[in-house]
Amino acid sequence: MKLSLNWLKDYVQLDASVDEIARAITFLGLEVETVLQTGAPKLDKVVVGEVLTRDKHPNADKLSVCTVDIGLAGGVKTIVCGAQNYKVGDRVPVALPGAVLPGNFVIKQSKIRGQSSDGMMCSAKEIGAAEDASGLMILAERPALGTPINDVLPPGDTVIDIEVTPNRPDCLSHLGVARELAAWFKKDLKYPEIKFVGAVDENAIGSHRPDLLAGVRVEAPDDCPLYSAHIVSGVKIGPSPEWIQRRLLAVGLRPVNNIVDVTNFVLLEYGQPLHAFDAKKLGGRQIVVRRANDGEKIVTLDGKERSLSSRMLVIADAEKPVVVAGVMGGENSGVDETTTDIVLEAALFRRQSVRWTSRTLGLSSDSSYRYERGVDPHSTIEAAWRAIDLIIATAGGCVVAPIFKAGGDKPWKREITVTPAYINERLGFRISEEEMRLSLESLELRVVREDPVSGGFAWTVSVPSWRDDLDRPIDLVEEVLRLYGTDRIPQAVVKSPGLIGEDDPIVTFNRKATAYLVGHDFQECVNLTLRPEKELAAWSSQAAAAELRLSNPFVEDQSNLRGSLIPGLLESLRLNHSRGVTASRFFETGRVFLDRNGQILECAAVAFVVAEVAEHLWKQREPIDFYAMKHHVEALAAAAGVDITRHVQGSSATPGLGWQAHHAGHAGEIGHGWLAQFGLIDLTLTKSAGVEGRVYGGQLVILPEKLGGEVVRRRFAPFSLYPAALRDIALVVDAGVPAEEVRKTLTKVARGAVGAAFGLEGVEVFDVYQGTGLPEGKKSLGFSLVFRSSERTLTDDEVNAVFQKIQDEVVKAGSYQVRK
Amino acid sequence: MQEQLSAILAKAQAEFPGILTRPEYEAAKARYVGPHGELTAIMKQMGAVPKEQRPVFGKLVNETKVQLQALLDATLARLEQLELASKLGPAIDPTLPSPDVGPGTSHPLTLVREEMCRILHKVGFVIADGPEVETEYYCFDALNTPADHPARDTQDTFYLPETARFANVSKKNREERYLLRTHTSSVQIRTMLKGAPPIRIVSPGRVYRRDTTDATHSANFHQLECLYVDKNVTVSDLKALLDYIFASLLGKETKTRFRPHYFGYTEPSFEVDLSAKHLPKVNKEWIEIGGCGMVDPLVFDAVGYDSKVWSGYAFGMGLERLAMMLYGIDDIRHFYQNDARFLRQFA
Repeated sequence: MKLSLNWLKDYVQLDASVDEIARAITFLGLEVETVLQTGAPKLDKVVVGEVLTRDKHPNADKLSVCTVDIGLAGGVKTIVCGAQNYKVGDRVPVALPGAVLPGNFVIKQSKIRGQSSDGMMCSAKEIGAAEDASGLMILAERPALGTPINDVLPPGDTVIDIEVTPNRPDCLSHLGVARELAAWFKKDLKYPEIKFVGAVDENAIGSHRPDLLAGVRVEAPDDCPLYSAHIVSGVKIGPSPEWIQRRLLAVGLRPVNNIVDVTNFVLLEYGQPLHAFDAKKLGGRQIVVRRANDGEKIVTLDGKERSLSSRMLVIADAEKPVVVAGVMGGENSGVDETTTDIVLEAALFRRQSVRWTSRTLGLSSDSSYRYERGVDPHSTIEAAWRAIDLIIATAGGCVVAPIFKAGGDKPWKREITVTPAYINERLGFRISEEEMRLSLESLELRVVREDPVSGGFAWTVSVPSWRDDLDRPIDLVEEVLRLYGTDRIPQAVVKSPGLIGEDDPIVTFNRKATAYLVGHDFQECVNLTLRPEKELAAWSSQAAAAELRLSNPFVEDQSNLRGSLIPGLLESLRLNHSRGVTASRFFETGRVFLDRNGQILECAAVAFVVAEVAEHLWKQREPIDFYAMKHHVEALAAAAGVDITRHVQGSSATPGLGWQAHHAGHAGEIGHGWLAQFGLIDLTLTKSAGVEGRVYGGQLVILPEKLGGEVVRRRFAPFSLYPAALRDIALVVDAGVPAEEVRKTLTKVARGAVGAAFGLEGVEVFDVYQGTGLPEGKKSLGFSLVFRSSERTLTDDEVNAVFQKIQDEVVKAGSYQVRK
Repeated sequence: MQEQLSAILAKAQAEFPGILTRPEYEAAKARYVGPHGELTAIMKQMGAVPKEQRPVFGKLVNETKVQLQALLDATLARLEQLELASKLGPAIDPTLPSPDVGPGTSHPLTLVREEMCRILHKVGFVIADGPEVETEYYCFDALNTPADHPARDTQDTFYLPETARFANVSKKNREERYLLRTHTSSVQIRTMLKGAPPIRIVSPGRVYRRDTTDATHSANFHQLECLYVDKNVTVSDLKALLDYIFASLLGKETKTRFRPHYFGYTEPSFEVDLSAKHLPKVNKEWIEIGGCGMVDPLVFDAVGYDSKVWSGYAFGMGLERLAMMLYGIDDIRHFYQNDARFLRQFA
């Protein structure tokens, strides 16, 4: 909201500098956006002068040497001038030596190209009066010679644009801000003097005019708790006086005519929206405050036709709506140059109703803005009277009966009881009782009673009607602190008692995952959570894409919650490659959203990608492969407390959407709390993501509730110090059989064969072979078996016996052959 | 005899430097001191030596044997050195770059978040986390945001369809809608409902606003909030925390100041400014860095804490904004594009 400093000074005497005032506004809690000077500042030694002669400068083509009369006191001066737009006899502003023009430009006695000059004749811009810098400012009204220029020019102003927080609608007015400044600077607030007293002498001739307005009916009192209408008859429409126009222009409003200007003026003075009707345009001489009919139309003042609904409140005459209540008037009932009688509306409308209507119509105004935030219910009538004073003063006429008022009968009374001790306790530092009381009273928060309580006394503070935001003792703490100055809160030492609890397990997991991946040369990325729906469909499923769609996306390519971190990482690869930046290893931690049978799960996730990039390196490295990805995912899962190795699915044919069949693996199931996928990312999706070449990666998704289980303290497991006995066995199996399946079978057989005699320490794959020497469709898996006893050194004979037994039995356990 | 021994030694001395492999060495060793070796042969003649000459003879043979052994040992040592040398490839050029990709880097938002968490950890704050999909209750109602507050509007907040069902984000009321949290304050509500005071948490996390993306706005960004609930928590304590945080982060000369403001969930509320004169590229005396205040009693009511007993403060700030200030980053979009030239600058 824009404030005119001159206007504020109508209500409070402000001697402070503009900087101090802006600072006061800031520390009162009204954010200052901009401070703008308008018009000429106070200028010393700049006076009205008249050009007596004008001769060409002997040494410069574009300059003239003039004699200028600045009146009896100053006499005639010689001034060199470069402007071209004046003639002898013109009166212009003359800056004399010692004058300081805007921009800190000091005028001195000087010599210009050898010709002495006693000052400067000025353009409007040079004295800050206007933007015109094209030539001298010709004073057409020919003010007296020697008159100080500020007496001739309209006074300048300072316009302060402030941001008012939603709890302070009272500060959406000059009077409201003046009240705050008066409290800050400890000055008195001068309210406008109101002459109209709300009554009409009905006995006077022509003072009862039901022909102008016969009735007001409020059909929706819930949405309109107060409606008043005053008739002012015999007005003459014309421009409003200059002082009103200047006030309005300063704060960015265009003057229209005396009636409209007055309603706007009072709106900005009191914060109370007003509306003036041309009485003759009210059909049936009736005002009805009612809900609109669905589909009812009105053309608002901005020339647009609006379609209304039954949730919206309108002011109507006997036939049609004439105002969208609290929002904007209609074209059909406004004041124009032929208007002679007006009806002045001053009303209260329910905040929520105005807000809903304004939002729904996409139409907001100074009026709706204030109604939405809350208008002081007890200054509505006062504002109407103030407007009536100004209308009569600027447009003539007089108030005639009947005067209508519906509702608004509830008297205002609110009191808060607070102790000074409570205020100091909440603050944590001491403000004296006198200072507290002074602060409260300066905001018209009067201490109406003082009662002794243990350890001091309690104040009963009355809250004025415009401070609906105050209703608890804590609210008064803020008021006291505001006026004390929040920049004066004393320095203190931070209290730092011991920790309560542990960091959240998700955070701990993310830290571990990040440390691991950064340690393995991955670069951390941050991608947006919102992704396009078609990407979700491709990476998750059509059903998931539908489930994860927002109801109100802002842009279509950010319509869905992400179901995987991988597409974002591919996008990051693509961006880098398209910019010619080498990048191949990215990761991200963050939330993903999975759809499971129509239920959405919010999960923690970590994912990484490794791209094959054609790098010109002087030394080649091992190409990336599936098993490196598996290793990383296993490590990440371990950081989450999950051992995925035992859960890796035997078939790589269907690793899940987004992963390349037969070249990726997966483990776990989100229904059980976690899911891991790793290997080659689907080539088609990689390509459609715009990334060249193959991309490997891995992702671990885990339910937040699965993280951070109780830590089980491990017990030491003793181990044997006797030597191990090793035997290798190669099994020929169908090429499609997973190695882990064979290993499990072999382990089972081996355990059976060893029995209780000694221990089987491990069965691990050491060789995989397929090709020459083996039948078509077969592969050979080499396993090494480790035997060990905890009591003695094993003999070759006993190991050989067991090993022979294993060889004999393993062929029976599966369709395997022992390769000799 | 002596001549024989001298000849053997001379031969060995001439021969051994030519030995380059272990088999050659073994063969040579056998030739001299093996069962059929030359020295062995001489030693076998001991029986034929007259008794009185035997000590002299024995001494001579022994001396020769010791000398021969020394020659063999030296040869073996030389061979071992040769073998080790053969394990080395050609000499490296230490100035050639490593062909390995790297190093790994943490994202600047992670770095800033971790730094803030470390600073807060020192004064007793632990990290809390909560869902990014929230409900109206946790994001607004419990935080004293009226039903018709503009922040709740579908114009400003992302909502999920009314049919959406989340298996692991709990609702307070059946009819409330799911939304993307607009601040991490919802974590405070969940933490307070789950536990009992005293509480001292910092909740960093991702938040969402339905807004146009430009140099300073993004559809999602990150916040960091602190909540402290205890007995007798004061405005002065809050100011002390802010002073501590920013002096730790930006140096002792950094000052903070409060300006009164309004938030529905704190009373009184403040905006926090940071003295910026000593910061690079900031041509302002003060810059706004976050919002804070004393927890509003209505919030305590909502979570069932007795506001006559408990008091608290809350502070929140944007992490992107902080990172932009700390690193001199001029466009928020850099954080989400992941240009490697950006990422590698901060780690």
